[in-house]
Amino acid sequence: MSLSRRSFALGASLAAIGGVAGCKRAVRDDKGRLRLRLWFSLGGRNREVLLEIVKRFHATQDEIHVEPVYQGDYFESLAKLRTAIAAKVAPALSHVVAEVVPYLARASTLEPLDGYPGMKEIPFVAPLAQSGGFRGGGERPLYGIPLNRSTPLMYCNGDIFAKEGLRPPTTWKELVDTAKTLTRPGTRWGHEVPISWWFWVALVGQAGGVVFDDAGRATLGDEAGVRALRLWQDLVHRDKAMRPPPGRDYDAWNVVNQDFLGGRAAFIWTSTAYIRYLEDNAKFPVVAAPLPRDVRASVPTGGTFFVVVKQAPDEEKVAAARFLRFFCEAEQAAYLSTRTGYLPITTPAAAKMRADGFFAKHPNDDVAQAQLANVDPWPWEPLLFRIERDIVDPRLEEAVLLDRDAASVLGEARALAARPG
Amino acid sequence: MRPRSPVHPWLMLGPSLVAWTLFVFVPLGLAAYESLFAWDMLTEPVYVGGANYSAIAESGELGRILGRTLGFSVLVVSGSMALGLGLALLLDRPGRLFAFVRGAIFSAYVVSWVAVALLWVLLLDPDRGVAAALLRVFGLPRVGFLTDPHAALVTLAAVTIWKITGYAMVVFLAGLRSVPQSLHEAASLDGAGPLARFRWVTWPLLKPTAAFVATTSLIVSFQAFDVVRIMTGGGPARATTLFVYAIYEQVFMNLSVGRASALAVVYFLVLCVLAAAQLRAWRSQTVGRRT
Repeated sequence: MSLSRRSFALGASLAAIGGVAGCKRAVRDDKGRLRLRLWFSLGGRNREVLLEIVKRFHATQDEIHVEPVYQGDYFESLAKLRTAIAAKVAPALSHVVAEVVPYLARASTLEPLDGYPGMKEIPFVAPLAQSGGFRGGGERPLYGIPLNRSTPLMYCNGDIFAKEGLRPPTTWKELVDTAKTLTRPGTRWGHEVPISWWFWVALVGQAGGVVFDDAGRATLGDEAGVRALRLWQDLVHRDKAMRPPPGRDYDAWNVVNQDFLGGRAAFIWTSTAYIRYLEDNAKFPVVAAPLPRDVRASVPTGGTFFVVVKQAPDEEKVAAARFLRFFCEAEQAAYLSTRTGYLPITTPAAAKMRADGFFAKHPNDDVAQAQLANVDPWPWEPLLFRIERDIVDPRLEEAVLLDRDAASVLGEARALAARPG
Repeated sequence: MRPRSPVHPWLMLGPSLVAWTLFVFVPLGLAAYESLFAWDMLTEPVYVGGANYSAIAESGELGRILGRTLGFSVLVVSGSMALGLGLALLLDRPGRLFAFVRGAIFSAYVVSWVAVALLWVLLLDPDRGVAAALLRVFGLPRVGFLTDPHAALVTLAAVTIWKITGYAMVVFLAGLRSVPQSLHEAASLDGAGPLARFRWVTWPLLKPTAAFVATTSLIVSFQAFDVVRIMTGGGPARATTLFVYAIYEQVFMNLSVGRASALAVVYFLVLCVLAAAQLRAWRSQTVGRRT
């Protein structure tokens, strides 16, 4: 019964995938190389860098041909990957946002990579890898290989700060004062940050809370969560010093970047991934700073992990592991980091960048590196992603835009998080 | 008319029945069944009974989505009908200029929803859009057409009306041309002015056309997805999360097939109620015309 029900439910998905399921895909290309499909969701320069690394991989060997296919943003790509896994037409290699790895692992859809040659020996930067990026992540089979990893970072307009004789804020109180000082009604907002889970989690950590306790309950930071939300509400509605950017997900992130580059926001929070982009496009000096602290310093990690799909043919999984090892070599990891702003994922890559004088020439990247000391790992919690997307994210936006009572909004979110669904 | 064999009507109905069973009844039955489970397509479904229904009802989510969708429909149906009728009355004239204007207005209807939505996103940008520039010229305050939770739904309804009004206008034009000229002449001879002629001659004969336009507009408004997906993504603060988008969001973004199925079942029931009301209105109109 269950099989039949699933088959019917997945019928539409199969059709959408173009009937691929019906025809067996060619395993080798016309040159006899094993075809390794890679679904990715990177745009702009990040995409160019990934494709360049694939090109380099092809130059080193003749047995595997990686076929990267763009699948939209992280969330669209994840929806497609889940559907493809359910329809048994998923590519061997893909990448997913960090928070979704425990969910996919629990669903037994990911291939443990410990057994593949050399995978366990890759010297990852701990907070960016599964071992240090998740509480207890090192005790589990290795499912995720870091691809593009980041943390939130504060970016200040150097000209505005110099003119006002200000330094980047280091505490919440300074953040509020600086935002108020730098706001020019009608022309410039002091502060801007996407109203989203990732930045709220940073605030929760800084206020001394955690979104999941050790028993696996979604506490959503309890009182710290409320304080975090109230900080935004006050900045927007009482202090009128922060603009909640319009749009959802990456649309809002883009608005924040554009407002910063256009001089319409004096300091913003966004991802370290945008260091190069902001530096290259700003007509003013971009000064990065760690996020300010409340009772402590805290940042979550972001970005994505490569994952290998369990149901893929064995030879494709072996090929995927071989590509991942190549990707994690210092040369490639450093290349991705220097060209984008994503953090170097292995210690040799970070050491190479330092030895090459990269951090001396790019102090903003060094700030991002130093901030790794403040990383709070995610809980290894399969419900994490659903709670983020379904329950918390929409309520944060609602609470900030409509100035709803923070305690009751988060209380409602906690109650919903405790339900099955 | 009596069929020669009792099997004949079923043979005629057969192909449609098969298609309906395969593409409507079976999926609907499956959705109803899925709605009793917590399922994410990847892990084993867990039976939760009516928990999905109570979750969407108790959180107030269902009421809000329903209210928004009905509000959106009222705006779209009334707006497209009023504008379509007004334009039809205004442009029901001979000459190339009027033909060109009619064609220009109808052209929006044949453009894809994606193109229309992207175009309006640019036009309505609160800082760099044409609408913002116009507001500045007239010294009016800045409006976040797509970013203000109080304005976004109305904005989407306005864009939808802009898109489908051409179609309503063409249907009303056809309806107007089926009104016998002799009735207007007779009414004029009796001393009826333009308003009275519209009230007592044109409108009664246009009612079936109006009912048709209302039905098609209602269908468009309840199917609204592309415009939401592209222009607002259901935001700000879920102010534009309409029924179809909510179902999509639950299943593809939030990994919750059970919750999405529960929404789909409720959506079906709402449509049944609306269809029954529509049918009743049609029947009463038909009976009225016959008597």
